[in-house]
Amino acid sequence: MKFPYCHHSHSVPDPKAPALEIQGLGVSYSAQEKFALKDFDISVPAGSALALVGPNGAGKSTLFKAICGLLPFRCGNIRVFGHPLSACHHRVVYLPQRSEIDWHFPISVLDLVVMGRYVYLGWFNRPQKRDIEIARHALKEMNILDLAHRQISKLSGGQQQRVLIARALAQNADLLLLDEPLNAVDASTRQTVAEVLSKIKSQGKTVIVATHYYDQEEGRYDKAIYLKDGKKISGADIKEDSTHTGCDCP
Amino acid sequence: MIHYFTDPLQYVFIQRAIIAAIVIGVLCAALGTFVVLRRMAVVGHALTHSALPGLVIAYLMGGSLFAGALVATVVTALGIGFLARDENVYEDTLVGMVPNIMFAFGILLISTTKSFRDLFSMLFGNILGVTDGDLHLILLIAAASLMALFLFYKELKLFSVDPNYAKTIGMPVKVMHYGMLLFLSFTVVVGIQAVGTVLTNALLVIPVAAARLLTDRLGAMMALSCVFAVLSAVGGIYVSYYFGSASGASIVIFAALIFAFAWVYKFIQKAIG
Repeated sequence: MKFPYCHHSHSVPDPKAPALEIQGLGVSYSAQEKFALKDFDISVPAGSALALVGPNGAGKSTLFKAICGLLPFRCGNIRVFGHPLSACHHRVVYLPQRSEIDWHFPISVLDLVVMGRYVYLGWFNRPQKRDIEIARHALKEMNILDLAHRQISKLSGGQQQRVLIARALAQNADLLLLDEPLNAVDASTRQTVAEVLSKIKSQGKTVIVATHYYDQEEGRYDKAIYLKDGKKISGADIKEDSTHTGCDCP
Repeated sequence: MIHYFTDPLQYVFIQRAIIAAIVIGVLCAALGTFVVLRRMAVVGHALTHSALPGLVIAYLMGGSLFAGALVATVVTALGIGFLARDENVYEDTLVGMVPNIMFAFGILLISTTKSFRDLFSMLFGNILGVTDGDLHLILLIAAASLMALFLFYKELKLFSVDPNYAKTIGMPVKVMHYGMLLFLSFTVVVGIQAVGTVLTNALLVIPVAAARLLTDRLGAMMALSCVFAVLSAVGGIYVSYYFGSASGASIVIFAALIFAFAWVYKFIQKAIG
């Protein structure tokens, strides 16, 4: 018997709808403050890879937080696979910057990755053998299965990043929002993350990455959106691909 | 030698105190684990001090001290949560302010009665004075709190390590926060019976802090905390029985000694390499 965390969870996606559609989005951290993101529109087709590029404070993390429901928005509309977010929490995964997690909490890497399965388990149900297997498979994909029983407090920065991506893989979401996944990580982690993102995209999933390293990774994205001071300022098609012509390139 | 342990058990009030000590120890340690890991120790401190006016009002009206303390702590917990919604009022400021006001209010009420007879047990607890009625209430509250902890263990873990992720998968994190404050209030009220309003936070925090020194696994940490808390509570009762010391203070000093041993053990272990 299932008791989902949210009443509207797990709707069937609209096959014709884009993975993400945002119209006239305005977000501020409080009613008094100025907009951290303003008049933002975007349509991201399913199966595409999008880079969000911009300086610190441009609004990249704010956008991600609004999409996944961490920040309320003051105006506009966000639809994920044709539904409001509350109808499809399991389809979206947000990979925060590493500093937002309590890495001193006394749990193992496997425990943390299994948390990616909680959205399917809901209240009262404990992770089953299958959930553990999925989590171990995700660790294997990130080349860190040997760390499964290590405490999360004993991980390096690169290992922390791999663990977070493994948790996202365990959730098996269709839309992945990654906030600076390559920030301050070693070359080997960067290589593994790049390979996994390519694999995810080849599986038809949609990936949006906020990145400082766009110049070095240009070829991995179908398009880029540039943000400055909470506004979309310009953009460019990165790759001419007939399957992704639905992207709204500004 | 063994008679030192068995002799006190011939008294019914000691038997009651030991059962209460075991239950209170397990409850404080189990919930205290999440209190410490979520950096809420200061909130526990606030709630324990806030219980005093509730205790005094209940005492003056001839009502249940448990009920009085419970109402005062729940009102404080929810009140702090409510007032902190205004972004210009920082939660840590409220946590530093509200308990002092409540504590002062409690002392003010006591001073108007010109009777300080029961102030000592309210401030420092009197586990040796637990009645059958108290014990039933302690068992009931402990059973409900531990059941909630068991049922929501998985969610509490995620909520503690990564509250943002919990929110993105649809968990009602605000409800969970208030729920935790509510059960913390229950635990505080139970703890007050053993060690009083001044020292209850020590029973919530010290056994967990000692366990944290010795293990970095959550399950083991909870289990060790429970063992340390029960040892402290029962040990404190024996110390109080044989030396005539205040039971609440004895329990807390016992817990502090366990923490000191754990710290020395860890220090030596590190030194050896």
